[in-house]
Amino acid sequence: MTRTESRPSPATAAFSGVDPDTIPRGRPRILPTAAWWVVAVCLAVLFLYPIWVMVSNVDVADLLKLTDASRGLSIFQSLGNSAFVSITATLVTLVASTFAGYAFAKLPYRGSTVAFFVILVTFMVPFQAVITPLYIVLRDIGLQNNLVGVALVIATFNLPLSTFLMRNSFAAIPSSLEEAAQIDGAGPFTAMWRIMLPVAVPGLVSATLLSFFAAWNDFFAALILITDQKLYTLPVSIGILSTDNQFGVDFGLMQTGVLITVIPCVIIYLVLQRYYVAGLLGGALK
Amino acid sequence: MTALPQLAEPPRRRRRSIGRRRGMLGLVLSLPAFGLLGLFFIWPLIRTVFMSLHDWPLLGVPEFIGFGNYVKAFSDDQFLRAVGFTFFYTLVMTPILLVLAFALAFLVRRGTRAHRFFQTIYFLPVVIGLAAGSYIWLFMWQSDIGPTTQLLGSVGLVDPTKNYFADFWTAFAIVVGMVTWKVVGLQMLLVLAGIQAIPDEVNEAARIDGASAWQSFWYITVPLLRPTLALVLVFSVAGSLLAFDQFYIMTTGGPAGSTLTAVYEIYRNGFVKFDVGYASALSILLMVVLGLVSAGQMLLLRNSDNS
Amino acid sequence: MRRHTTLLVAMTAVAATAIGLSGCSSSGSDSGTGEASGTISVWTRDSQASFMNKLADEFNATHDDLKVEVTLVPAADFVQKFGTAAAGGNAPDVASMDLVYAPYFASAGALADITDRVDTLPYAGDMSPGHTAQGQYEGKTYALPFTGDVSVMYYNKDLFTAAGLDPETPPTTMAEVQAAAEAITALGDGDYGFAFSGACGGCNIFSMTPYTWASGGNVLSDDGKDALLDSAEVTDMLTMYRDLWQGGAMPELVQSDSGSNAGDAFKQGKVGIFNWGNFYLSSLTDPTEGAQFDWGLALIPGAEAGQTGSFAGGDDIAITAGAKNPDGAWTFLEWVTGDEGQKVIADNGVMPTRLDLLDSLYVPQDPRYEVFAEALAVAKVPYSVIENELFNDSNGVWSTMIQEAVFGSGTVEEAQAKAQKAAQALLDESNQ
Repeated sequence: MTRTESRPSPATAAFSGVDPDTIPRGRPRILPTAAWWVVAVCLAVLFLYPIWVMVSNVDVADLLKLTDASRGLSIFQSLGNSAFVSITATLVTLVASTFAGYAFAKLPYRGSTVAFFVILVTFMVPFQAVITPLYIVLRDIGLQNNLVGVALVIATFNLPLSTFLMRNSFAAIPSSLEEAAQIDGAGPFTAMWRIMLPVAVPGLVSATLLSFFAAWNDFFAALILITDQKLYTLPVSIGILSTDNQFGVDFGLMQTGVLITVIPCVIIYLVLQRYYVAGLLGGALK
Repeated sequence: MTALPQLAEPPRRRRRSIGRRRGMLGLVLSLPAFGLLGLFFIWPLIRTVFMSLHDWPLLGVPEFIGFGNYVKAFSDDQFLRAVGFTFFYTLVMTPILLVLAFALAFLVRRGTRAHRFFQTIYFLPVVIGLAAGSYIWLFMWQSDIGPTTQLLGSVGLVDPTKNYFADFWTAFAIVVGMVTWKVVGLQMLLVLAGIQAIPDEVNEAARIDGASAWQSFWYITVPLLRPTLALVLVFSVAGSLLAFDQFYIMTTGGPAGSTLTAVYEIYRNGFVKFDVGYASALSILLMVVLGLVSAGQMLLLRNSDNS
Repeated sequence: MRRHTTLLVAMTAVAATAIGLSGCSSSGSDSGTGEASGTISVWTRDSQASFMNKLADEFNATHDDLKVEVTLVPAADFVQKFGTAAAGGNAPDVASMDLVYAPYFASAGALADITDRVDTLPYAGDMSPGHTAQGQYEGKTYALPFTGDVSVMYYNKDLFTAAGLDPETPPTTMAEVQAAAEAITALGDGDYGFAFSGACGGCNIFSMTPYTWASGGNVLSDDGKDALLDSAEVTDMLTMYRDLWQGGAMPELVQSDSGSNAGDAFKQGKVGIFNWGNFYLSSLTDPTEGAQFDWGLALIPGAEAGQTGSFAGGDDIAITAGAKNPDGAWTFLEWVTGDEGQKVIADNGVMPTRLDLLDSLYVPQDPRYEVFAEALAVAKVPYSVIENELFNDSNGVWSTMIQEAVFGSGTVEEAQAKAQKAAQALLDESNQ
């Protein structure tokens, strides 16, 4: 905080230049309203344009091709497999990373710094390189060609980001809050569960979203570790169903496949976003 | 207040027995994560190290060759060129992501309906997989048939017959654009979470002191966002250094091998040349580099934090 | 079209059931490997989905104790997935693979030696020689010919007519190909004489090398030990492509095309000549999305009139080294290469590899199939345990040579010399 200087600026009000009622919770504005709208809308167009390209290239004939079961692949079965893998992986990631993140932030122990670094290192491994040994490990414990096995692998490789998020979320909570709980007689675990976790909801929701999207979109782990096509997940099946012939990609068919894969993610995002925003604004601190 | 890496230090000095009991609980809480890591990361990693010391074909009989694979890597022009390109890509990608993530987050940082609406839109590409995003952009920029080349060509901005993937700079720019579009929403979200963690009272106090919007942004918010900065930095650097899918799909390493990345080379050695031992050695080298780079970043941020 | 196919399949099913019953009992006594039973797991590329499933249904309907289970693998990831599974000791019983990979998987011990069993097949000598050679390694047989994909020349008759060429006499020499392509390009109007997938090694070994083979040259020696990339026939082929590119006879997209665009450009009627496989025919004849112009096909010519060449592509089928049901797997292999299996393949528009059955099962279905049958008779395929590394890798020796020779700033000969040196070094290393 050494660099914080209070320099009175008479220009503040003029710069903000808007009706104070429209400024929620009294924070100063950086851009005037009109300029803000122009910038925000232009950016929105840029962000939405590729999605529009995808949607506008979808047609019904392609949808029918993807749901055509004559190749022996059922897209609905794959959808179920994907849901199972994604939900399992996300739950496992959340439990492991919430516990570990809390420990790293609030309950440090000998070697916890190293442990945290080891978790981060997981993010740095080229997945393609460990797939062969990973396959053998899964085979040895009987989880090869098994959706639980795939879910656990995906959960492991999602751990670093969510542990990092959870640790930072817990660390940002003042220790005074936990101390207050302990004065009230709560043990460290109860303090975490009852007091700290609700405050860390934005972090938790972010971790949930990112874990879910990563699991849902995973192609490579599912491709290599599953050997029975009844257990294929959606990205693998879509890849197969959108291949028309020996070489090349049918772009229209592929965009349709992408759209089908994306829809559940968008729904999850929109649903969770409400809690995420609520967590941010209505957090226990305020 | 600043929460970054002061890990080893307990938050408060306490009576030793309580500290130990809390540490014990910390250890227990970390166990599920360690279990997963041990089984699905550490153990395969140890096997990878073991394989890297062998001439290990994908199939067939391995032969121990010590550090032969590692020695080979340092004179493998193709791999070194790929490493150079990967660093270049990271150097371009990281500042773009950082600046845009912060800019977007500040643009839409409030809880109003309009802000939430734009947050949602900027984040939307994140839910699309990297491979799927690559295919969309590959299609967009095809010469003649691509919607974007047609659109921009019709207003005379680009030459619609030009092949944008046959030229290094245009191909590279398209990949950078795609990754920015796909990833920056996530970075924005992380920054937003960081902003929200700053208590209102801090800005309130600054305002009462008469600080301007820019002043309170630059002197209060930004320093307080250092942990977030570390997060965004570490993940965008690591993500860039591990880039593969986007190049595999959009450029296939071309033109003339100029966009081959380090992981692409690992993939080629393992699954095109079937030399798993060498691919393992390259992976270990890449991990070491990544570890060093990340540790350097964290150290740097921690030091400037303490000043 | 679809209705038509369904009817054919239904008829085939009736016929095959009758033949299948007798065929089954005789094969059982011939091989004497005991009663095969149980399930047989089969992996195949997704591009083979349609006929593989029908083949499996047909086989299951005619074999009471055996059940084939097909698993589709994305074509681009087949080698990875199969390789990992084989390394982990969990490969399927049967793998149908792009024939160019058979030598590698045989050399690496992933496939079972089926020499003795193959010797019992009465038709062993009647199968596509290119496919058969790919299934051999060090004098033993590891894989059988399964399906055929040969490269031929597709040409746009409307564009030929517009350019003042006779649409019924396609080019018979490389010089004529080049002249025709240049004439069509001269029409202007966004039409191009020629197209290929410039950044796709696997596509180009398929579509380009036939010129070299037809002219009497080769890219590898027959034993796969020596690279011949600096030979004169390769120079001629590359020079033709370079001239066409520099003369503006190819659309810009070819330079970076990894396999999907060149075919589309031809289908849209913008390209005069395009070499591609028999699988491409169904894409052109599709009633809604197919070609809206008159087109023809012919054999890919060589330097002189009368010379023709083609690539013998498609699949070989093999039993894996760790197969849990080797006897069942063999019964399946015997059946798919036998009369009934080949008929199901042919009836689904895929080319059988039994040369003795082509005239009865395949050619009568469509007059154009005649060209494919002729192509298969002359078709070649380079034999190498490092085929993937040499040719299919989009950043490998072959792809780099094409990029430099056709699109680069140096000369064709420089690109060849560099590629020859690199290829020979790789071959020497693998043959140690």
